[in-house]
Amino acid sequence: MLTYVLKRVLQSALVLLVVGLVAFSMFQFVGDPIDNMLGQERTDADIARLRTELGLDQPFPVQYYKFLENAVQGDFGVSYRQGRPVAEILVERAPATLELAAVSGFLAISIGIGLGVFTAIRKDGFLANAIMSISLIGVSLPTFLIGILLIYLFSVELGWLPAFGRGDVVHIGWWSTGLLTATGLKAIILPAITLGLYQMTLIMRLVRSEMLEVLRQDYVRFARARGLKDRTVNFRHALKNTLVPVITVTGLQLGSIIAFAIITETVFQWPGVGLLFINAVQFVDIPVMAAYLMLISVMFVGINLIVDLLYFAIDPRLRTDGKGAH
Amino acid sequence: MRHMLSAAVLAAVCAAPVAAEEFKWAGTTDPQTMDPHAVNSAPVLGFLNNVYEGLVRRGKDMSIEPALATSWEPIGDGEGWRFHLREGVTFHDGSTFDAEDVLFSYERASNEVSDTRSWFAPVSEVKVVDSKTVDIMTSAPNPIFPDSIANWMIVDKGWAEANNAALPDKENGNYATLNANGTGAFMVTEREPDLRTQLKPFDGWWDEATHNITVAEFTPIQNSATAVAALLSGEVDMINPVPIQDAERLQGQDGVQVIQGIEARVIMLGFAQEADVLKYGADAGKPNPFQDARVREAVSKAVNVDAILKTIMRGNAEPASQLVSPAMRGYSAANMDRPTYDPEGAKALLAEAGYADGFAFGLKCPNNRYLNDEAVCQAVTAMLAKVGINAELDAMPVSNYWPELRADNFDMYLLGWSPGTFDAEHPIRFLAHTPNSEKKLGSWNFGGYSNAKIDEMLPMIQSEIDDGKRQMMLDESAAILQAETAYVPMYVQPLVWGARDNVSLTQRPDNFFILRWVNVQ
Repeated sequence: MLTYVLKRVLQSALVLLVVGLVAFSMFQFVGDPIDNMLGQERTDADIARLRTELGLDQPFPVQYYKFLENAVQGDFGVSYRQGRPVAEILVERAPATLELAAVSGFLAISIGIGLGVFTAIRKDGFLANAIMSISLIGVSLPTFLIGILLIYLFSVELGWLPAFGRGDVVHIGWWSTGLLTATGLKAIILPAITLGLYQMTLIMRLVRSEMLEVLRQDYVRFARARGLKDRTVNFRHALKNTLVPVITVTGLQLGSIIAFAIITETVFQWPGVGLLFINAVQFVDIPVMAAYLMLISVMFVGINLIVDLLYFAIDPRLRTDGKGAH
Repeated sequence: MRHMLSAAVLAAVCAAPVAAEEFKWAGTTDPQTMDPHAVNSAPVLGFLNNVYEGLVRRGKDMSIEPALATSWEPIGDGEGWRFHLREGVTFHDGSTFDAEDVLFSYERASNEVSDTRSWFAPVSEVKVVDSKTVDIMTSAPNPIFPDSIANWMIVDKGWAEANNAALPDKENGNYATLNANGTGAFMVTEREPDLRTQLKPFDGWWDEATHNITVAEFTPIQNSATAVAALLSGEVDMINPVPIQDAERLQGQDGVQVIQGIEARVIMLGFAQEADVLKYGADAGKPNPFQDARVREAVSKAVNVDAILKTIMRGNAEPASQLVSPAMRGYSAANMDRPTYDPEGAKALLAEAGYADGFAFGLKCPNNRYLNDEAVCQAVTAMLAKVGINAELDAMPVSNYWPELRADNFDMYLLGWSPGTFDAEHPIRFLAHTPNSEKKLGSWNFGGYSNAKIDEMLPMIQSEIDDGKRQMMLDESAAILQAETAYVPMYVQPLVWGARDNVSLTQRPDNFFILRWVNVQ
């Protein structure tokens, strides 16, 4: 047991190190931050001075090593663009992204499951077919376009919802929330739908096909034969068994909701870490890019680690430490 | 919101002749710092012009007018300039403005770590004569010195020292990065970097306020489509810029107006002139044809600027004949004609230079620095192909672009130049003088253009007090640069802003948005 856990943790750490190395080698191609930091009247001497000061004259493995050295002590450096500690900026921005991810995740799961069940039960109904066709839009249209379309419909044409920003926020300790104000709630609707639409259609289609599969099973037939109500059969017996794969997929999708928030945040000027990252890429703000990528990879690696450990807990076959046959 | 607005309008009608308004505006980039000496960039200086002030400031037509100095005059035969400071000026925190603040701001802004240092290269010493008089001595006569310091903003000595911000700190930030204490018409009342910055009028401002804003809020919106939507839905009152392709559509919409003008920035083509061989394309390694002035002239004849302006710029820009636009001081009216589009003439010139069969080379271009920059380069590539010279176009983001130019990785390149001093001397210093890192001259002359006469004239232009003689030398420089086709100036970049119908504002060619000229009806 312990060896297995230890092995997984070590593997995760190795993945993180490799991600960091790849990230730092990529930074060489993003461009040079110096020109963004100095005005047009800069001299060659200014460029050389700043380059040395920031350590950009060092080869990238050295830069990476220095980043790691500081990162393990909790110091992620100072943003080139804002001149503020990266950790401070990330803490400031994280609540916006996490709230957006949570709300869109919630929408995706609740609406996705609801519609999935509906379309499975009314397999040949007109409405169910219409929903299935419309859901293709969610899968096939790019997030960027969906966001812009929603803005034009609900902000420009109807004037119901704001086109950008997070509305008013309330600060609770270091956390800032927009879910407690009217403007904040209005502001989160469009970005949450934009971000969650893909996941929603995915979950819907998954639930539908699983449900259709389950509804064909003998135990459902027997349940019906026993004269149980349709609702009990559909939601108590059938749905429960469809949820296992749904939960697995949803868990894995959670990470990508946070990571793909970048596009949604750019379209809606949502002040989260994704927007921060886009800004950092444009400015070649290496400390922010590095911290963001590490954070995201820690998150993905963490989720995978937890999933692996959960499998270990659930599946007794894994506990044989590889000695027995699978 | 509508309720609030109508209530405010009602209150204004009943209470006072001056209506009070909340004003929101959006731009693509957030000013990265509130420190007026840390970053020499238009978003920062433009924003801070509302908060801080210099000894002089620029009016609606870019002319220099008194600000914290009421008057100034040259000392002796051009040893320097004497500035008489305004009485009764206070900073936002209430402390009094005097000569010590000017001296302090000079030391702060000219320090090695300040990005504004180059403005003070001609200055040898700053002397406090008395609390309301300051002498700024220059190492050589400098007729345009007052023009060159319009963006040099005065910081309160006591405030900066008390908050450990005696010097700007670009790398790590300090108190002045997030807080501001100027003498200007507006105070920074809230600042959340990248999210919003709130300004309120400064009651103790020395000048008479002509705006009617009670609260102003700036929000960066990067995505131009979102910004346009926010303007259309009335969530913001003004956006800068409006994408060129949206300008026409916006103009037709109710409730919004499009304000167009031309920026100070001239877009031009530059050449590798020092390099002996071509670096890109099929002819890489062969002798560099751009060393021959006839080939450069052929390029200037082959590029159909009018067509570029009509199609890519949708008629919003003006052709350029020289390195500065007509709005700049020292523009050479004598050289206002630009080469006409003449592909046959271009072919003849190429044949004369020995390139009757053309050649291939590399054109470097940014794709996110100037308006529609990549599209312009594609058009140029197509036009050059018509006269037989084939450009291999390589467009890239600006963060990669400058390092490429600095490393001399180009045969031809696109460059935009906006003179910080609004004077024709500026591009000569940076683009036309032979590169010399010791003297800090020609630092953007990537191609290495060199002409002894230009180099000889630059210090004379810089120190000539007599306007007529100075203009003659500027005319001569412009004529030389044209005759040798040092660059191919193509057009002056347009400025397109969008605003709600009820907003009146002033657009200045430096693309600074000055809040004190805004009125909301």
